[in-house]
Amino acid sequence: MNWKMSRIVRTVTDFLVVPIVIFGIYLILHGHLTPGGGFQGGAVVASATALLIIAYGTLGRHKKDLSTIEAIGLILFISIALLGIGSTMFYNFLAGTGGMFGGTVEGINSGYINTGGTVTLMNLAVGIEVSAALSLILWMMSKETGIMKPEKKTSKTESKEVEN
Amino acid sequence: MKKAIAILAFLIIFAFLILGAVEMRPFGEPEQEDMDDYFLGDSQPHNQVNNVVTAVLFDYRGLDTLGEATILFSAVVGVLTVLRETQKKGGEDV
Amino acid sequence: MPGLVQIIQFLILIGLMMTAVAVIIFKDLISAAIALGASSLLLSLEFFVLRAPDVAIAEAAVGAALTTAIFIFAIKATERKEGYE
Repeated sequence: MNWKMSRIVRTVTDFLVVPIVIFGIYLILHGHLTPGGGFQGGAVVASATALLIIAYGTLGRHKKDLSTIEAIGLILFISIALLGIGSTMFYNFLAGTGGMFGGTVEGINSGYINTGGTVTLMNLAVGIEVSAALSLILWMMSKETGIMKPEKKTSKTESKEVEN
Repeated sequence: MKKAIAILAFLIIFAFLILGAVEMRPFGEPEQEDMDDYFLGDSQPHNQVNNVVTAVLFDYRGLDTLGEATILFSAVVGVLTVLRETQKKGGEDV
Repeated sequence: MPGLVQIIQFLILIGLMMTAVAVIIFKDLISAAIALGASSLLLSLEFFVLRAPDVAIAEAAVGAALTTAIFIFAIKATERKEGYE
């Protein structure tokens, strides 16, 4: 069976995947300045994964990596939320303290990326979690329904069974 | 009989929707607006964030976002459980 | 005299109703899935006109791209035509 699509589709995919992923990362990292945020950026990155799956028919074997990345994102989110439990959960303890994420904004400004405190970090964590989760759902669905090429570790007996 | 029940249910739901559309408040004037000024005025000095929506999503209503992330996680766990790689059928090969 | 925004909203809502009816009418399930994707895209345009760009981005990414892809994957595994007994 022919798993790849035609050369035209693959070339256009090669040109389109990089801007889509960059736009998703932009949405995640600028979530505290512009419309967008972790969920939206993660969904955009996962749509790039869908494009790759449909065009090439394979993503390699990265299921465990995706599961691990998703769990890491969720744990990061919960632990950032719990770090501020001195006052309340989800307390923004980094805002205005200076340093990498603690810049201050006031009034009408053009937006600085080093502001936001824990909001920026939580955007990053949710973006990692959502992109890995939606990519994993797409990966599993496409592999089970025959869109994606099965892995090579199937032995000869299994392939004979499939042919029968 | 079935068709009559279907038409009746459609008419009732349609009447409720028309009622809701007639009695809808004008756009941009919600009923409860006590917290709006607090969110709009407090998110920038307290959180140092320009985007008020993100401030509400990740700071004031963070537990809702945590629930959303947990729902996504459990959806992935369900998909992995249903579509996991099954073992070889039977045991004769082993 | 309606303004430009009202005319755009009117056109978008008419297109939304047409695509939503098309989802029910189509017997080919892939056509129905693509009509559902078009409906999501028009809905995201409507959100953008109503000044909710966050919801518009989420709807465009999840509704138009990901659910259409998942529906098409699922239809590929089953039957393409809708059939009655």
